[in-house]
Amino acid sequence: MTWITVGISAGTLFAMAVVLSYILGWANKAFEIEVDPRVEACIHALPGANCGGCGYVGCGDYAEAVVAGTVNVDKCTVGGENCAKALAEILGVKVEQTFPFRPIIHCGATYSERLGRSPYLGERKCGSANLVSGIQGCTYGCLGFGDCATACAFDAITVVDGLAVVDYEKCVGCGACAKACPRRIITINPFKTERMLAVTCSNLDSGPEVRKVCTVGCIGCKACEKSSGLFKVQNNLSSIDYDKYSLNILDNVELAVKKCPRKRLVFVGKPSSEDMAQVADQELPGLIRAEGKSTVEELKWRG
Amino acid sequence: MNYIIDITLIALSAAIINNFVFYYFVGICPFIGVSRKVDLAFGMGCAVTFVICIAAFISWTFTAYILMPGAPLSSWIAGFFTSPEQAAGIDLSILSYIVYIFAIASSVQFVEMYLRKAFPMLYKSFGVFLPLITTNCAILFACLTIMSKVAGAENPAEAWDLGRALTLAFFGGVGFTISIVIMSGIREELELCDVPKPFRGAAITLIIGGIMAMAFTGFTGVDAGLKKAMTQEKPVVQAVMKEKSMEKGSAL
Repeated sequence: MTWITVGISAGTLFAMAVVLSYILGWANKAFEIEVDPRVEACIHALPGANCGGCGYVGCGDYAEAVVAGTVNVDKCTVGGENCAKALAEILGVKVEQTFPFRPIIHCGATYSERLGRSPYLGERKCGSANLVSGIQGCTYGCLGFGDCATACAFDAITVVDGLAVVDYEKCVGCGACAKACPRRIITINPFKTERMLAVTCSNLDSGPEVRKVCTVGCIGCKACEKSSGLFKVQNNLSSIDYDKYSLNILDNVELAVKKCPRKRLVFVGKPSSEDMAQVADQELPGLIRAEGKSTVEELKWRG
Repeated sequence: MNYIIDITLIALSAAIINNFVFYYFVGICPFIGVSRKVDLAFGMGCAVTFVICIAAFISWTFTAYILMPGAPLSSWIAGFFTSPEQAAGIDLSILSYIVYIFAIASSVQFVEMYLRKAFPMLYKSFGVFLPLITTNCAILFACLTIMSKVAGAENPAEAWDLGRALTLAFFGGVGFTISIVIMSGIREELELCDVPKPFRGAAITLIIGGIMAMAFTGFTGVDAGLKKAMTQEKPVVQAVMKEKSMEKGSAL
């Protein structure tokens, strides 16, 4: 009796499977729609995790958007670089090198270095303080009340000694700080390398004027411009042409950094300046080469 | 006449009084997920109704002929291998869940293929919720209700026929559509409201669902009253007529 029950159960399910798969197979043919073969190829190239990390509902949606050309091929965070390459191959486009955008704070003066400050008892906000004339000698530099730090949703900006400092480990480059700053001293730049050279001053006044209000501000002496073509002094302020910026020209840049009398050309980014200071006294080899020798032979087999 | 009353009551009960969403609290996933826009919600309701009808048809057929204890088809097959008494007692109701899920999954697949061909925009806007109908508990709930009415009936004469089963399924789907469309209408208005931050999103939707469920409990008892009115129609009407004629007579 048991075996009969088992047999009939199995038979029922088997018959059901046959009938339903026949119906579905017919429906698949009857309701077939022509899909761009590139879309199918893209779906195969994608991880198929349907995580939605790209901002689309699933991999299928993203593949369609890629083929339609409305979105870049490098949006899949799961597949990463290889996936982007595969997609680019299917579509016959080139993967453009993209750089992360990070903020640079164009002021490097702490409280003690900023001259002509007057006591301010109003609302502790840069936006309010900026409306008050004569709050500090420099009308371009950081006010130090931390509107940018408040705007940052990632805790990446802190005000240290009256100067906003970016923690590039936490920063994601959303640009909220640049919008929050009333003096517009924060710019969002493509970081071609982990550490980028930056001019940390925004003062457009002439040299003597700057000396009156700041002990470190850029005086427009053009020392940097003379040593490297990367720099250009406009309106008494040095600026960096980030289009030309690359690792190859860093030799000239080093000279400029040394020559700057006010030390306004500094590197910002990862690793942080404290990390660099910690390892500064250690001797580091310029380049580490692999020996190409296996270490397996020297080990004893303990299995 | 009795049959029509029965059908009417089943339909009314499934659609409004014992609404799947508000009374039994099944099918909440699409109720929360696809109730952002009215047209989308209506499309979802239609898809669920269609799937629920197919699933009900398959589940009733299988339950009545194969799955329930002593079902004709399975006992006929078993009769070839064993004695008639034992064959009559064969019980395959253990298979019910797997058969229902099987039926639901294939009909969802069918609907998906059809929608992709016929309404690509609707298909796109459903996104992941269309395959999720497969695991929509409202549909399995309808199948299980039908099974309990067919196989669980004490008196074989009271077991539901296919018409009753399909009525329950169709009007259950209609009830689901009604509830999800009402919900989407409210949520469209909700977009303009300043909801407190902790309540935004699914939280306020569930709260509104609860309030609506309370409102729908107001229908409780309507079916019993209606049944009474329909079965005792003649005496009531005659009594009223008599009263009226007497009033007229006295006035004259």
